[in-house]
Parts: sequence; structure tokens; C-alpha cells
Amino acid sequence: METETLLLNMGPVHPSTHGVLRFKLRMDGEIIRDCQVVVGYLHRGTEKLGEMKTYLQFVPYTDRLDYIAAMPNNYSYVKAVEELAGIEVPLRAEYIRVLVMELNRIVNHLVFMGSLLLDLGASTMIMYGFREREKALQLYESLCGARMTFNYIRPGGVREDLPDGFIPKLREFIKDMEKRIPDYEDLINGNEIFLMRMKNIGVINAEEAINSGMTGPSLRGSGVDYDIRKVEPYSIYPDLDFKACMRSECDSLARYLVRVDEMRESLHILEQIADTMPEGKFINQRYGMAPTTGAPTAVMSFFPRIFTPRAGEVYSRIEAPKGELGFYVASDGTTKPYRVKIRSPSFCNLVALPKMVAGLKIPDLIAAFGTIDVVLGDVDR
Amino acid sequence: MNPAEELKNALPNSVLSVGIQTNKPLAVIKKEDMLKVAAKVRDMGFDNLSVITGVDCVDRIEVIYNFFSYKKKQNLALKVVLDRSSPEIDSVVSIWKVADWLERETYDLVGIKFNGHPDLMRILLPEGWIGYPLRKDYDMKTEQFVTIGEDGEDIVSTDGSNLLRGQ
Repeated sequence: METETLLLNMGPVHPSTHGVLRFKLRMDGEIIRDCQVVVGYLHRGTEKLGEMKTYLQFVPYTDRLDYIAAMPNNYSYVKAVEELAGIEVPLRAEYIRVLVMELNRIVNHLVFMGSLLLDLGASTMIMYGFREREKALQLYESLCGARMTFNYIRPGGVREDLPDGFIPKLREFIKDMEKRIPDYEDLINGNEIFLMRMKNIGVINAEEAINSGMTGPSLRGSGVDYDIRKVEPYSIYPDLDFKACMRSECDSLARYLVRVDEMRESLHILEQIADTMPEGKFINQRYGMAPTTGAPTAVMSFFPRIFTPRAGEVYSRIEAPKGELGFYVASDGTTKPYRVKIRSPSFCNLVALPKMVAGLKIPDLIAAFGTIDVVLGDVDR
Repeated sequence: MNPAEELKNALPNSVLSVGIQTNKPLAVIKKEDMLKVAAKVRDMGFDNLSVITGVDCVDRIEVIYNFFSYKKKQNLALKVVLDRSSPEIDSVVSIWKVADWLERETYDLVGIKFNGHPDLMRILLPEGWIGYPLRKDYDMKTEQFVTIGEDGEDIVSTDGSNLLRGQ
């Protein structure tokens, strides 16, 4: 039977798009023939702002990119600046950085699980996810006073040292999470409806995924054993024992399962850090002045607020919870960056979506889109 | 031998110079030979195009491509220098699909035209936006107002007249 195709607008305001994102769908009955993704509703000109702020002033703006997991954003930018300016970082600071980033990975994946299941119509998981996330956010609050936009990692180290009793609280969190993850698996993994919605939906093979610029857990769900923490190790990752989680089914279920496994690996990393956290300085003090008498040293940052890296350019990337997060920073030898370019994982992962959902139905689009795990602040910058 | 030197040996006429982009090998290439070099870069095993960056250097415009090879675990950066009055370069969408959005973004914010791109239009800013924000001479004083019209198209104005529709 010949049918007409219908143009259907989904979004920009739609509960399952996790923000403001629009799909232009060409529908043949219930089947998606063509999907066009329209982005940009949350564009704030972050890259332009980068050119107008000093190196240190730009750090809080990076928090607003991927606001679910802001620590890796801080770190990725700071790492680029450090490579450009040749700044050394004390070992304790590196340990603290990896600690907060891996904790953020768990937070990110909890929100991912919660929102994915909510999109599929199961509202239990988001309650559990947010309950556990709250404990992690309280850890962050005790660390830097903020729950989501931290502004904590900065050139030379971190802003403040760990507060008293942080490590014991972290151990409690790890112990708690180790019990919770099997609970989630009991709740979700065997659920027949969940499996029917996820299995063989949104399939993309390894070659297409690489060509479309997919990175992170989404790529590892397509059977590519690639994790920047392993391939181009940075910070203290070479000293840590963990594995890059991978699945070869290439479908939505594989992308979901990779993230559940990653939470376990992150917990394992946190355990190692809790056991081996070295003593020492939390920020590089070589360039700075001595602490003023009487000032509380714990909240003093010794690294100069204004510094000038040599002229040059750098592209530096890390494995953020959503994929490859890179910063291109060019310096012209002044106190402000000449150009800041953000390579965000959410933006590049969306390129593959139309390919993944062609020939499926709208509920499958929601399931496949949920497993890519994008944050619109990161897409639109 | 690093990948940039390898590229220079293979295509001596297309590669102008080789250098370093902080830890990553960098090759500066001729803009006319972009597609030829891109095909060679793909054949060398660089299957992942990480990012395309456009930089306005006031007297010229630079485009920087960062590649990574999943097979060889190597990095490579390419740089092309363009004329600022009419920055144009061949699109590489036919080789790396991710270039579709990356090139649209560079066109949108820096104003570089990618010849042969299947659908070169603005991606982050609305169609009809005046100027390219990441150019150094972008006019930041003039406000621009955007509304979405009845037919779904973006309407941009500098005096806010489009905000008064229906009156």
C-alpha cells in the first residue's frame, strides 16, 4: 500500500530529550524514514567567553558544559592549560583529581540509568539513582561547597585539600554502592519489557561508530576496545588497576551494560585511591607567594591568578563519562587564551543517531537516544 | 618516523612543513590538496577525526584537524592556512562522517566555507544570524533577536521588530 510520508516535529521541549533538542522526523506511518537532529537552543557562546577571560577565570564556565559531571570538564581544560604552560602538579593533587572525576563518573551513570528508565516508562530507577547520587553530591559539598558546578580543579592542583573525614565517608559510599549495583541489576537487567525495548535497537557497528565520531561508553558498546585512560594514559591512571569495559552486541542494551560495568570499575579505582592517597601539597606552590600570616592555609590557593603560557597551541583530551572530551587551547603569550575550542562528546555522539534509528519507531528513537547519554549543555556549549 | 614526516615523504608536494602541536605531530598542508591528503591520511590508518578547529589569526584563517588512529594508537594534526577574505576549503565529509557536524560548526562560528559539504548551514546559531562570533572583528555591541516563525524557520533582527508579530 502506498502511503504518504509525514513530517513530525519532536521537541525542542520534550521530556525525553533531556533538555532542549529537536528532532525533525519524516514518518512513513509509524516508521522513521529520516531523522534530522536540530541543536543549538542552549548555545551560550562558551568558546567566545574563553577568549575574553583569563586562564583561571574560564574554569567555572567549563562547569556549565556537562553539568551532570562537571569535574572532568574542569580537568580537561586545566590539563590543556598545564600542558601549554608546563605547570607541574603535586602527586596528591593528581590523586584528588582522579578521585573526584571517578566519583563523577558514577554520578553520571546513575543519572543515565535513572533517566533512561524514566524515558522507557519505569519510574523506580530514577528514585534509586538520585538517592545514591545525593550521597556523592554531599561528598562534593563537603569538598568544595558546590553540588554540581564545582570550579574545583585549577592549574597547578586543586582549590582546597580534602576536608577531615572525607576518606572514611568515601569508603562508606563505596561500600553502599557495591551493595546497590546488584540491586539495580536485579531490578532492571532481567526485566522482559526492558530487554524488548533495548535488544537489537539502535544498532551501529564498530566501523560506522568510529566514522561518525562516536566515543566513550557508546563506542565501547559497539565492540571497540578504546579508552583514553588506557590508550593515552594521563594523570595517575597508569598506576591504577582497572579495565576498559566493552561489549560487542552494538545495540542499546550493550551501551547500557557497559555503563553499569564502568560504575564497578570506578568504585574499584576509588577504593585504590582511598587506600593509597599520598600526603603532600594539594596545589603547586613553587610559583606562588608564601601564605600570609594568620590566613587559614587550607582555603588559600598559592598558584598565581594571572599567568602567561608561552605562545603555542595544544589539543588535550580525556575520557569523560560520556566520551572523548578535548580542549584545543591556543595562546599568543598574553594572559588570556587566543582561542578555546571544546570538542564535546555529546555533540559528536549525536552525529550517529539518524543512522541508528532509521527504520525504527518513535519509542525506539527514545530508547536509542537515551543510551547515547547526551547533556544539552555539552552539545550546544 | 612520526606520522607527519611519513605524510611528507608520501606527498612531498602537498605538505609544506612538519612541526609539533604540543606532543602531537603536525603537518601544514596546501589547501588545494586537502582531499588528496585526507585520503592518504585515512589510508595511513587515521580512522577517527577528533575535532576541526577554525582560528581567526586576523591576517589569515587557520583550520586545524586532529586525527587519531584506533589501529596504530597514533595522533596526527593537520593545519591549513586560508585567505581571510574568502576562506574556503574542500569538505572531508565523504571520508569521515563526523566532519558533517564539525564543519557546520566551524562554518557557523568562524565562517569557513567547506566546498562539497552536503548541507552546509548553521548548526548552533539560527539561520540568518549576522556575522561569525569567533572572528576577532565580530560586532558584540549589536544585539540580535531571534524568534521562531509560524513555519518553523528562525527570524533574526537587530531592532527586535520580529518580537512584535501578531500585533
